[in-house]
Amino acid sequence: MELSFDLLINAVIAGILLGGFYTAVTLGVSISFGILDIVNIAHPAFIILGSYIAYIVNTRLGIDPIAVSILMLPVFYLLGAGVYQVYYESFERRGQESLRGLSFFFGLLFVTEVMLILVFGVDYRYVEAPYIGPSWRLGVMDFPLRMLVPCIAALTLFAALELYLSYTFIGRAIKAVAQDQLALRLMGASPVRIKRIAFGISIATASVAGALLIIIQPVEPSVGREYIGRVFAICVLGGLGSLPGTVIGAMLLGILESFTATFYGPSWAPAVAFGVLLLTLAFRPAGLLGR
Amino acid sequence: MIPRWKGLTLANSLTIEKIDAAYGAVRVLENVSLNVNTGETVVLLGTNGNGKSTLMKCVMGIVRPRAGRIVVEIDGERHDLIGRSTEQIVDLGIALVPEGRRLFPRLSVEENLLLGAFRRKARTALRANLDFCFECFPRLAERRAQLAGSMSGGEQQMLALARALMLSPRILLIDEPSVGLAPVLVSRTIDKIKELKDQYKLTVLMAEQNFPQALRIADRGYVIVHGQIAFEGRSADELNNNELIRKFYLGL
Repeated sequence: MELSFDLLINAVIAGILLGGFYTAVTLGVSISFGILDIVNIAHPAFIILGSYIAYIVNTRLGIDPIAVSILMLPVFYLLGAGVYQVYYESFERRGQESLRGLSFFFGLLFVTEVMLILVFGVDYRYVEAPYIGPSWRLGVMDFPLRMLVPCIAALTLFAALELYLSYTFIGRAIKAVAQDQLALRLMGASPVRIKRIAFGISIATASVAGALLIIIQPVEPSVGREYIGRVFAICVLGGLGSLPGTVIGAMLLGILESFTATFYGPSWAPAVAFGVLLLTLAFRPAGLLGR
Repeated sequence: MIPRWKGLTLANSLTIEKIDAAYGAVRVLENVSLNVNTGETVVLLGTNGNGKSTLMKCVMGIVRPRAGRIVVEIDGERHDLIGRSTEQIVDLGIALVPEGRRLFPRLSVEENLLLGAFRRKARTALRANLDFCFECFPRLAERRAQLAGSMSGGEQQMLALARALMLSPRILLIDEPSVGLAPVLVSRTIDKIKELKDQYKLTVLMAEQNFPQALRIADRGYVIVHGQIAFEGRSADELNNNELIRKFYLGL
């Protein structure tokens, strides 16, 4: 009995820590897909790009991967803004965004992946940081720092984004842009500019998520694909357009996966995301905190 | 004590000259000219489908007119509006309360109001304007945390009006405030516009199909029929006493 209680509580902790990391991975998609209605399935590719940048700078200069990712925020922001501009000119402006836009992002996913393979090969890469390895112990509870640090970083990122969306003029306009573009123009804000900023921010989060990913596990160019399903499942579970919903959804999925891995075997864990997605769509399509 | 509405002492006027507009091959406005002078409330009267909303959209740069000029004077400075984007026109200080209100339904009342202050010049006056709106529309203060989409039609119209006031507009356009409202709410909305106009000398152009209500607040007005100005009433009396208006629109 004693043993299974330990197991249970550590499964919950591992789940929450994993959920924290999932939060970082999903926040960007929560903005692009949830708020802007742009189905950016290439988001995981940008995350992997972030991982590789953290890897290069970390191995060459020994800078902490999270610090690297923060320094890279403006670069990723500009990259995102540029991608949106191309997407807007080519698809959204002509009203062809639904299917052709999807294939655009699919293409972007492959191009990024292949580019990384050509440059770095398919070997697994990893970073070094003082918090990879040690664990904090609190009684029976075990907090591996490799998971705890990303979880805290992700929640900080969430808090910063939520404050930005709620308390700045641009942030509020981002929340409004998918609801009524003409009304937004009548407030003096250009919807294209607002969406460009929002998409830039969404891609900027991939920089941080990428660094967190390579802290948690070694990375090769195609691991991003493992996250596509999870990311969209979390978005739908949490409720489209709600960042707090995303955190709750990510935590729930993290805990469910951790339980499945602990009590039924790790090979079942990936099935959880799709199970959750199907159940959400069947019973609560608006998600937990959805619009 | 309602705080003072600032800065409306300078000249703010709107002049529309010989506007033509069409949707594809369908002509909607033909040779329409009208003007609104500083501090005036001018009504544009007409039943559905005569081009009132299109005229409003031309002023706001949402519809491009095929010919004609639209010139505004804002705080004594003249600006030609043709060719400017909606955002630029709003930035000059022209606000439209659109037909159907166009609120952000899934944002709170307060967030809707704060979005009204997006315009750079309105941001500095945000606090004063917000206090002003809450004083003016106490209902909105009570419901500031509620989602805009969950309010009643009358409350939504008040919010749409308040949101436009948050822009610190120099010229206010109001498109059919009565649409979709119960008669008692129509009259309450009109009362509110009258109150704003009397106290703060707003320069207002209002399109309306409810003639009796619109005539209560009009300084002057135009009747638009099939995209053309059919009659210009140079005073409220002229509008009220015109035979055609009495016969066809007021049913007297």
